Amino acid sequence: MIELQGISKTYIRPTGGTVQALADISFHVKRGEFVAMVGSSGSGKSTLMNILGLLDLPTQGRYLLDGQDVSSLSVTDQARQRNKKIGFVFQTFHLLPRTTALENVELPLLYSDRASFEDLGRRALEAVGLADRVHHRPFELSGGQQQRVAIARALVNEPELLLADEPTGNLDRGSALEVMSIFQALNRAGRTIVLVTHDREIANHCHRIARIEAGLIVADERVAEPKDALQEAK
Amino acid sequence: MNTMRLTWHSVRMMNRYKLRTSFMMLGSIIGVAALTLVVSVGQATERKMLKMVAQVFGDSSVIILDRGSQMMGGPRSPGVRLKVDDIEAVAKGLPGIDAWDPQQGISTPVRHGEATETAQILGESERSERVWNRRASRGEFFDQAAVTGSARVAVIGQTVANELFQNEDPLGADIQIGAVPFRVIGILEPWGTDPHGMDRDNEIVVPITTLMRRLTNVDTISSAKLLVSDAGRTEEMTPEISRILRERHRLSAGQPDDFSILTATEVRQMVGQVQRVLFLYLPLVAAVSLVAGGIVSTSLMLASVNERTAEIGLRRAVGARAEDIRLQFLFEAAATTVAGGIAGIALGYAGARLGASRMHLGDITPWTAALIGLSASTVVGVAAGLLPALRAARLHPTEALR
Repeated sequence: MIELQGISKTYIRPTGGTVQALADISFHVKRGEFVAMVGSSGSGKSTLMNILGLLDLPTQGRYLLDGQDVSSLSVTDQARQRNKKIGFVFQTFHLLPRTTALENVELPLLYSDRASFEDLGRRALEAVGLADRVHHRPFELSGGQQQRVAIARALVNEPELLLADEPTGNLDRGSALEVMSIFQALNRAGRTIVLVTHDREIANHCHRIARIEAGLIVADERVAEPKDALQEAK
Repeated sequence: MNTMRLTWHSVRMMNRYKLRTSFMMLGSIIGVAALTLVVSVGQATERKMLKMVAQVFGDSSVIILDRGSQMMGGPRSPGVRLKVDDIEAVAKGLPGIDAWDPQQGISTPVRHGEATETAQILGESERSERVWNRRASRGEFFDQAAVTGSARVAVIGQTVANELFQNEDPLGADIQIGAVPFRVIGILEPWGTDPHGMDRDNEIVVPITTLMRRLTNVDTISSAKLLVSDAGRTEEMTPEISRILRERHRLSAGQPDDFSILTATEVRQMVGQVQRVLFLYLPLVAAVSLVAGGIVSTSLMLASVNERTAEIGLRRAVGARAEDIRLQFLFEAAATTVAGGIAGIALGYAGARLGASRMHLGDITPWTAALIGLSASTVVGVAAGLLPALRAARLHPTEALR
């Protein structure tokens, strides 16, 4: 599904000089995996996330997404691929204010080449358990519900890959578990998920944990027994 | 990507941010309203002015004014010496003068029963109808016998008729001009307001002999209008008229004229000056306000791009291309300014209607103004939206999402 070969990313500082955010990373994620990336801030995990999400291009190396080399796509093709293959979930939800849950969820459809939205948005909201909140606006929803709307938005175009950047960072424990249980359910249904977190507890819900330090993957191990968020919440 | 879908989505988004949207409209509302107002009032004024000029001042007219009194009023100098005989001498001395009419006027209260109205009383000859191209719409004008016999007959304007008679029929009724009783024999054709705001329907025309003898007790006139048979010759007649009048007034070589002569050429120059003001300077002022409105829109849009950075980042993340973002912002700018422009046209038109009815300018035809306003606001909208749209499209998605 994801194949990174010798990826590095170097930024040029505005003051001159360079920063190496990622140094020669090689990394594979198979279809259907649920991977956590952990690391402290500044470790390079956000940069890696941006490259995985086709929001940024690597300075060097090859990135194969779904068998296709995407390491040197044009900006427009990147956008097209993001729309089709990747769903994003952010720490701060990034819902459009004054806009209903359904319209927020339908946003990726707006930029797709689908002829009509059908009831894809509604179905995505049902999938995250918000069938009764379709016409609510963000301020009428709790934090956990808002993040579930964001997950529905990430799912609406039926992407191959879900990328979640600290999805529980702004949530209390109960809501965090709620969100993680949705991720687990989606993963069980076959969805590939890469999740960035600095919270070991959250990472333990995944199958695999990769640790990033100073732009390098320093550890990559399987989780023997992933925790079940639904059980914990009870 | 479906452009229609994105456009419709933009409309809904703008509808959700009503305050921001209406502020963005405000600039073009004011600018286009000003432009529409100025252009349509300008057009109406021009029509009115040209009509008046044609009426008062056909191509074949020469107007002689006593010294000091200008075409547009001005102070009356004490040494007025222009007399009916002078004009008669000119008319007799020069070939090609078809008709002429002397004029003298005073402003005085006029009474009928309890009603009083201060009107402009004009003393003229029986040729007034033809020379000034203003007839009696009802009743009749006075004839030569009335002028020779200083008859106390009056042809009154519509305003005078309304003020003094309300529902009564003025024809044949008696009115008192100053202390002198007159009989109303006709109603003047309606004229409207002249460019100085004088109501030309608040006039009464009486025989000039009657005016001189009964009302003013002077034998001088303030002006006269000559109709020339050959319009092309008015220019060359000017020095001839001048020579005759100087001779009659016994002016020696060094003395200035104690009269002035006005021909269509000079009037056309004056009209041209007015037209320049109406169609160059006034619209320029309005255009400046439109540009200012555009600048306001641009700065609001720029502020909005900053405020909506996260939204732009999110849209990019879910698949919007840079050109989708550019299109959205450009469309928002164009849509708000054009919508504002349409509102501005309506506002400007309403203002122009109001102004025109106050100034008796006649009908307002808004089409030219609407066309100019709409195209101007479109241009301003796109220009105002360009910079913010480019900036929004240039935002890097990772930075926008931070």
